[in-house]
Amino acid sequence: MDYSAIYPELILALFAIAIPAIGMVVKNSKYLAAISLTGIGLSMLAVFLFFYNGTGPIEFDTGLLVLDNFSALFMMIFLCVAFVVVLASGKFIENEKHVPEYYCLVLLATVGMLLVASAQDLFVLYLGIEITSMSSYALVAFRKKDLRGSEAATKYFIFGGFSSAFTLFGISLIYGLTGVTSFTEVGAAVAGLTDMKEMLWVALVMVIVGFGFKVAMVPFHSWAPDVYDGAPTTITAMLAAGSKKMGLVAMFKFFLIALLAIKADWEIVVAVLAILTMTVGNLAALNQTSIKRMLAYSSIAQAGYILIAIAVGTEFALTGGIFHIMTHAFMKGGAFIIVATLATVAIGDRIVEYKGLAKRSAILAFAMTIMLFSLAGIPPLAGFDSKVVLFSSAIYGATDGSEWMIWLAIAGIINSAISLYYYARVVKYMYVDELEEGEKSEKLKLPTSMLAAIIICVVAVIGIGVWPEPFIEFCKDAAAAFF
Amino acid sequence: MLENIPILSLLLLFPLVGALVTFFVKDQKKAKITALVFSAIPLILSLLMLTEYVQNYGPYQFEETYSWIGSLGIQYMLGVDGISVPMVFLSTLLVFLAIIFSWDIDHRTNQYMALLLVLELGVLGVFMSLDYFLFYIFWEVVLIPMYFLISVWGGPRKSYAAIKFFIYTHIASLVMLLGIFALYFEAGSYNGGNYSFSMEVINSVSPMFGATFQAIVFGALFFGFAVKMPMFPFHTWLPDAHVEAPTAGSVLLAGLLLKMGSYGIIRVAFPALPSGAQDWQWVMVVLAIASIVYGAVMCLAQKDLKKMVAYSSISHMGIVLLGFATFTEIGIAAGVFQMFSHGLITAVLFMMCGIMQHKAGTRNIPRLGGLAAKMPYAAAFMMIGFMASLGLPGMVGFVAEFSVFTATYDAFGWLLLIPVISVAITAAYYIWAMQRVLFGPVTTEIDTAHLHDVNWYEALPLAVLCGFIVLFGMFPQLIMGYITPAIEGIVTLLGVI
Repeated sequence: MDYSAIYPELILALFAIAIPAIGMVVKNSKYLAAISLTGIGLSMLAVFLFFYNGTGPIEFDTGLLVLDNFSALFMMIFLCVAFVVVLASGKFIENEKHVPEYYCLVLLATVGMLLVASAQDLFVLYLGIEITSMSSYALVAFRKKDLRGSEAATKYFIFGGFSSAFTLFGISLIYGLTGVTSFTEVGAAVAGLTDMKEMLWVALVMVIVGFGFKVAMVPFHSWAPDVYDGAPTTITAMLAAGSKKMGLVAMFKFFLIALLAIKADWEIVVAVLAILTMTVGNLAALNQTSIKRMLAYSSIAQAGYILIAIAVGTEFALTGGIFHIMTHAFMKGGAFIIVATLATVAIGDRIVEYKGLAKRSAILAFAMTIMLFSLAGIPPLAGFDSKVVLFSSAIYGATDGSEWMIWLAIAGIINSAISLYYYARVVKYMYVDELEEGEKSEKLKLPTSMLAAIIICVVAVIGIGVWPEPFIEFCKDAAAAFF
Repeated sequence: MLENIPILSLLLLFPLVGALVTFFVKDQKKAKITALVFSAIPLILSLLMLTEYVQNYGPYQFEETYSWIGSLGIQYMLGVDGISVPMVFLSTLLVFLAIIFSWDIDHRTNQYMALLLVLELGVLGVFMSLDYFLFYIFWEVVLIPMYFLISVWGGPRKSYAAIKFFIYTHIASLVMLLGIFALYFEAGSYNGGNYSFSMEVINSVSPMFGATFQAIVFGALFFGFAVKMPMFPFHTWLPDAHVEAPTAGSVLLAGLLLKMGSYGIIRVAFPALPSGAQDWQWVMVVLAIASIVYGAVMCLAQKDLKKMVAYSSISHMGIVLLGFATFTEIGIAAGVFQMFSHGLITAVLFMMCGIMQHKAGTRNIPRLGGLAAKMPYAAAFMMIGFMASLGLPGMVGFVAEFSVFTATYDAFGWLLLIPVISVAITAAYYIWAMQRVLFGPVTTEIDTAHLHDVNWYEALPLAVLCGFIVLFGMFPQLIMGYITPAIEGIVTLLGVI
């Protein structure tokens, strides 16, 4: 067995286990964050070495895990998210109890995501999802005394449990029908399946429902705004930018490898769900008064865009999907971390509290504007580039017999226009509205570590936006490795 | 002399750097001077470009090409031809003058000036891009500064007007983007899978596109441009935006942003989809005439001077589209000239609206009266602007409108009567409005005892603009010399000659 395929997971798991032990001695949140960052950094280095050596795909125990361009790219994305989240957490949770456990769980959740990225087998995939889910349930409930947090965690746990059951049921049906668990073998077996097709459809429905909950696809999305709202904001950033994207990766593997042979049976369903998801998400975001809930609905909408990649199902579309996951990780992660940073200086999550922010902290207002405009798809920011690739793949896929795919692009574009309204509203509060007499107007003093995390996101969003070429190439390689 | 200087990139670079620098200059006075310097440099560069540009030579000049996103066939590609050169000059001139005119801004001055420069960057980019993707990016860049200009420095209903402007034009540009994608993929399949957003590459295969494809995609692109111009019935954002915008914002909105729409038709829609353009010819004619008539009629009903000017813009942009829709060399060239001339004239008119608001405290026509006695210089500028706008011979507007109408008569015969009569109606109303505001007994509705005439920073831009209005009215060839040779290619592509 070639262990170099799982170095990133191993390193991270080691640190995750070590941190509670270290936590017996070191209580300071900042030091623990630094140790976690070291672990994430080393794990990133392992992924980087894979790219650097260019050895090609490395398999771990044939058919279980593989480190190739696809999984390595996603590992990098998930590790970046974890890095930014931990960097921001050092200050954010310094006065809380159970600090070591927090970092341990964040790292474990990331390990789960890495496993999903490299899984080649139905059950490894399921295992990865569960590791992440279990850690996230606890993280959402991190503030035990906080009623909203506890409610959110309960809700998340129940919905998550149900969705796992659905997924598992679907997986077992597929296993029963085909007798194999590796994605490629399942794919071949499904293609050759002659009778019992009805059972396969049942399995398909189960899988769609199960993953639908995980990625907050409409109509299985109702938990997401409550959970995003109630969780500690750094964890919300991780849920939106990391674990939800893990669900999408799992869907890529399920639909585009294992169930590719019966694409004709599900493509319309996924397409309709994609359009529903983006539309409902955007419409619901329009009149939110809490910025966390608004961003949660915006996340739902963004998942809808990414589902286009599955419905279209070409290599080009997958490139777009991967690229959008990458950019979304930075812009949505960044946006939530800005919300978290403001929470440390007693600016709550009601949008009206952002009034006159430009005067109080020019850098945060600017960063938030960049994130929001990027989410809306305004050029030349990263979100625009990835939407371009994603939507144009739908137009490109619309050939004879699949002309309907053009509607995915049209729906995406109309939705982007709708979304601009609620993003611009926040910008208006920050820049346009003036503070009145008696309102707090002193300059904000912000924690450096959180600012650093935000700056990483801003640089990434502008950098990818202005110079997307190398990133598109990475995504292309990843998509090529996937198929 | 300029052969080795990337003049077009410099034209983009100075506003960009200027915007960044100005933004960080906290002192008001210094911010104004910085912005002025950074807008003067592009003006000088564009004047250099005017002199160095070789008329009658080749399609594009000063070309610069760098690969940007190679895997999608996107390049940073700039170049100018006879259509863009006058627009580039107009843009640099208007931004420079708008900055001078805004000398009395004392609220968040550095941000205001920086936004004007960002706006210049976007507009210049639109007029110089030779790559559809780049074109779209600059097109969108323009929205953001204008949104802020209206929503921060605007009038009482600024929030509503700003978001309406933003959403309307953003939806339009997204529809346009869909059209651009369709072009990209269609052209790629004709080029043997070699996908590129380059205008030259796409336009070289455009005559081969299928007729249905052309008709559909032209519809998408035309929608995007028609909202921006704006053509009836997509115009409703314009009066709101104008009435609420600060003066410099209105000047640039009418003077430059509307021109982006008509420029898009001539630069993007016609060359890329020649047969689609022919399918839509009558729609364009009808919308153009509808806009001319509607704009003129709405002018009659306005009491607010600024709203009146805003509606006259719709009418005048209708004349641009009418010129384009003739598909003749003289008609299209005249349409482009009308873009240029309307840019100069409308700037004067909006500046006058700003002065009225500022000095007299109201723009309400019935409340004003006899101001010529109190403000002789302002009255003189206003008369020149109004006369030019209603098409007095010897001024720039006359040349443009007369040529468009000549071409319209050649192409459509007596249909010409409708626009001409409506223009005559506006002329009457303009003169009446002018009479009420400037002459007659001095009004008692406002305090006229302390009425001052124009300040230096108001008089200077107005004088320069009025000078150009007369100069190019007397010698239209100064600008037409650039435009006409560039039109030939487009007309040939349309296959009408």
